[in-house]
Amino acid sequence: MKRVFITGMGVISAIGNTVTENHSALKNRVCGITMPPHSSPDLSQVPLAEVSSSNQLLRERLQVFDPAVTRTTLLALHAFREAVQDAGLTAEQISSDHTALIGGTTVGGMSQSDELYRDVSERYAASPFLSSYDCSSVFMFLQEQYRMKGIIDTINTACSSAGNAIGFGMRLIRSGLAGKAIVGGADSLSKFTISGFNALHILSPEICRPFDRSRQGLNLGEGAAFLVLEGEDEIGPNKKIYAEVRGYYNASDAFHPTSLSANGEGPYLAMQGALGTAGLRAGDVDFINAHGTATENNDESESRAMIRVFSEPPPFASTKSNTGHTLGAAAALEAVYSLLSLEHQEIYPSLHFSAVIPGTELQPVTTYYRSPLRHVMTNSFGFGGNCVSLIFSKS
Amino acid sequence: MLYIHQAVAISPQEIISNKLEVREPSYEGIPRNLLRRMGKSVRMGIGASAPLLRSSPRPVSGIVIGTGNGGTADSYSFLEQMKEYGESLLTPGSFAQSTSNAMASQLSMMDQNKNYNLTHVHRGLAFEMALLDVSLLSLEDVSAFYLLAGVDELSPSNYALDEMEGWYPPETIAGEGASAFLVSGQAQDATAAVRAVATLHTTDVEVVRERLRKFLATHLPEGERISCFVCGENGDARLNGYYKACEGLMDRDTSVLPFKRLCGEYPTASAFALWLAHHKLSGAQNYLIYNIYKGRQHGFILLTGIPR
Repeated sequence: MKRVFITGMGVISAIGNTVTENHSALKNRVCGITMPPHSSPDLSQVPLAEVSSSNQLLRERLQVFDPAVTRTTLLALHAFREAVQDAGLTAEQISSDHTALIGGTTVGGMSQSDELYRDVSERYAASPFLSSYDCSSVFMFLQEQYRMKGIIDTINTACSSAGNAIGFGMRLIRSGLAGKAIVGGADSLSKFTISGFNALHILSPEICRPFDRSRQGLNLGEGAAFLVLEGEDEIGPNKKIYAEVRGYYNASDAFHPTSLSANGEGPYLAMQGALGTAGLRAGDVDFINAHGTATENNDESESRAMIRVFSEPPPFASTKSNTGHTLGAAAALEAVYSLLSLEHQEIYPSLHFSAVIPGTELQPVTTYYRSPLRHVMTNSFGFGGNCVSLIFSKS
Repeated sequence: MLYIHQAVAISPQEIISNKLEVREPSYEGIPRNLLRRMGKSVRMGIGASAPLLRSSPRPVSGIVIGTGNGGTADSYSFLEQMKEYGESLLTPGSFAQSTSNAMASQLSMMDQNKNYNLTHVHRGLAFEMALLDVSLLSLEDVSAFYLLAGVDELSPSNYALDEMEGWYPPETIAGEGASAFLVSGQAQDATAAVRAVATLHTTDVEVVRERLRKFLATHLPEGERISCFVCGENGDARLNGYYKACEGLMDRDTSVLPFKRLCGEYPTASAFALWLAHHKLSGAQNYLIYNIYKGRQHGFILLTGIPR
């Protein structure tokens, strides 16, 4: 089977605008989650992880002044641009009909909640946003901006969206339908999602504490990240390679619309499946970037699943304690962080942890250290029980 | 090739002020308490898919859905709730339903299916991408069965946005529906087969014509012809040039079947076109489905009959 490698990456999150800034923040235990007040009074009275750049600043940096372009799209373009530059792709390579773009998002243009309400209820035909509300508007914009002619797709499986985007891109390359695929995800903070998660009672009133016994829920965040994937036959001799996309698996928990089964059936099947597709044994995994949202339900369920797969799980941590939960973008951000771990042979700690969950007794990594790493697994689980595990391997 | 074994469509029956609307069936076999909590698109999607899941020779190895507007109706009702009650005291029902993958996940729960589950939401190509996804899956495991569906509802909020943007000139009728298919990589007992699917984004007629020429040269076997051009023409004069250009590549005897007279315009109308083509097809005929959505997204599906 054709091997697929990562040759470029880009990320913007609450802990930095670039890969370099994110790397340094992870090493230095920077938490991007802040208590209110936030940049906008709309953004509720719960802790959030905001990207520091305002829309105005993003527009100037990206030279995009079309008012129809939403914050989600601006974040996506920011990370996309960094990723293609990092991989050294030319304009011709990006617009080749053999280059795919696969994006995951769950909020999409719904970040403009008030505008959507106004446009529909008042039938405001002069609105610039009429075509911006859906998820695909984000990646349709990138397609147009870079005149892309290959396969373009938008995936929404809630919080595992970008994980499936990475997996689909890999499969397109393996099948020969694409030579390269630019894959990732984007989501921005919105009143809509804050209210929704609030109604589900899973937002933490304090800074989140993944895998801690007294965790009180998740903090929402925003961001975007992209990877450039290339088939082995597309890569020249001196090209920089971060790692190989070795394993991908999508499994359903088939239990509940918004929570995971107690024994973590879906997460267990996803991790097992990823090991299977990677041709690895559980003992080969050196580190797990866990989903670790810090909700009561997720962390216990994911812990039980890790115990079922690994008996004694390898070192693991949740970078959601740095970036908050960036929903549809989360798996893309965490793919970048997993690749940084492999690239620099170092492990970034979970923050704000103090005591293990009784019954699972699993302790995440709480200090930064260097360690030889060959295979890193990253998990993302979405509403509707959509569970995805990916494995990246140092080549 | 991706073989179609069974297909179900829930399609419109009545025109109500320029909208072709689905009169929903009674959804036998789906628990009432579940139905009550579902939005219309989820109900239609499950109504079309559930019989196929029940009749599949073995549990499906994947549930793959395409939906352009999936969840926007529920998103809007959650927004209305937010406006009415502020941020507190909200019930999470419509928020949970507003995620586009609510339908695919509901199917996984009803079927207790723990396999691959994916929702493509790429607007007017959401169904084509779901079809491509399943085609790849069927190559990865030829013996497995998969559920494939394209579903969109015509909600007041979607209709208002599209109408304001100018996508419903008087000649265009808005529509909705759910079309579901039980598919696999094996020919046995199949009724039709998808030879290929291709998508592109452009406003240039020449680029579309050239892509179709290449598509047919690659996927239509030497010496075979297209019997029927299943065409997404929807009355919008701005799009006629694309349909004419593609029709020009057919031969003189190719018949033309404009399917949106039956289902109306919606992002996954091509799923209905596949259902229709699959029913009309006989013997070893080839049908080509060509659809444009909002002037920029183009999809081609090449379908062939299986002689019996």
